[in-house]
Amino acid sequence: MTDPQAPSTPDATGRSLADIVRTTIADVLGTTPDEISDSTDLEADHGVDSLELMAVGAQLERALGVQISPEDLMRADNVGHAIALLTERTADR
Amino acid sequence: MTPPPDPAGRVRAVVTGIGVRTPVGNTLDEVVAAVMAAAGTAAAPVDVLVAQRAAVRFACRVPEFDPESTLSLRELRQIDRPTALALCAAVDAVRDAELPPLPPERVGVHLGAGIGGLPTMEATALDHGADPMGMPVHTVPRTMANSAAARIAMRYGFLGSCLTHTTACASGTNAVGEALRRIRHGELDAVVTGGFDSAITTIMLSGFARMRALSLRNDDPGRASRPFDADRDGFVMGEGAALLVLERREAALARGARIYGEVAGYATNSDAFHIAAPHPEGTAAAACMAGAIADAGLRPGDIGHVNAHGTATRLNDAAEATAVDRAFAGQAPPVTSIKGVTGHLIGGSGALEAAVALVCAGRRTVPPVANLARCTEADRIDVVAGAPRRVALAPVLSNSFGFGGQNACLVLTPGT
Repeated sequence: MTDPQAPSTPDATGRSLADIVRTTIADVLGTTPDEISDSTDLEADHGVDSLELMAVGAQLERALGVQISPEDLMRADNVGHAIALLTERTADR
Repeated sequence: MTPPPDPAGRVRAVVTGIGVRTPVGNTLDEVVAAVMAAAGTAAAPVDVLVAQRAAVRFACRVPEFDPESTLSLRELRQIDRPTALALCAAVDAVRDAELPPLPPERVGVHLGAGIGGLPTMEATALDHGADPMGMPVHTVPRTMANSAAARIAMRYGFLGSCLTHTTACASGTNAVGEALRRIRHGELDAVVTGGFDSAITTIMLSGFARMRALSLRNDDPGRASRPFDADRDGFVMGEGAALLVLERREAALARGARIYGEVAGYATNSDAFHIAAPHPEGTAAAACMAGAIADAGLRPGDIGHVNAHGTATRLNDAAEATAVDRAFAGQAPPVTSIKGVTGHLIGGSGALEAAVALVCAGRRTVPPVANLARCTEADRIDVVAGAPRRVALAPVLSNSFGFGGQNACLVLTPGT
């Protein structure tokens, strides 16, 4: 339990960005990726708090190699929206 | 036994629930059975300590305790082992008490931890020292000493005082005593109270070994914890949690709760002498024992047995024997220590021992000290060895003494 933030699949190779996002969110919320769909609203559906959002952001930063602020994630209405925002961000690299 | 009314007319408090995670079992019955059998220390080599060639390579670990059955994966992700042990024990204790819905502001949480989240911060430093901003977001809430107490309050929505008492090895005893005072004072109707710690790491054990507090019996862990024995060479590190539901007696009686017994007396004071060693004359420790007995409205002769702190360090056991002898003016009842079996749960020890002592007193049986062959303190106290000793149904005194000269004593009375 020394580094619970290490993504379960640290190497993003072969996984779509949407898969990585869903897996990361599921890991932080202690659920399974199939519970996280595009229409999932993390706050309304899972009561996510700001620390958990930051944990999601930190894991995604590492997995995707882009800078992500908690505000980026808070701006998203749902997981699909977050994936779209992150897709834009990674395209800018 | 039906205890006499409180001499000062104070509100009284009884134990209605107990939950444990210990090296000798995850139910109180298992713990009491192991303690009565006194077959040896529940210690074994620890892989990581062996691999790292630590000076002390064994400890009393809590066996698999299946936190997933009690705690959500989401919660587990945010907490460390000490807090997981405490939370699991708390859930068992609350379930055991079958607490009815109470006004949430009348229920509190009072825990004791001697080491708390330090081992987790140690791991964070080792894992992320080169890149501190890469540490997990939850590192601070995971490692802070009050993490377990806060999690218990959050889980149940208890709005009353939520405190974590830290007095080294006396922490659990102080927590139960302070919980008693909150109930007596009329502030709370029920308290989830007790203690916990889990610090079996190379750094933590080396810290204690460096000051020669730990047994070095790496080749014979089962005989390593030897309270009051001539061949003792230090305590054996344990881990675990013991949580009690302490409830206003009138309320517990009114709802027909199963009552383990009463927390009847409490005292705490300080040696003000040395940061680690006990005062060899045990004057403050003796005063603490006498204070707890008086607080219960009893006289020393009313106590049926003493659950000693009995760590198996040279200094503790010698000073404690002198202090017990002093407190009872040469007439001490039989003395035992369960640490020969359980090892030393640090913050968890006092609460676990209070629970075990209460049950043993109710069974009129004093458990023998494991690994006690030749008692060096027999001139001052009668330490039970070999087989359990039958005693009259009577209250029990339970002692805890922490580094820093922290003394805490409880008197527990079996029955309603």
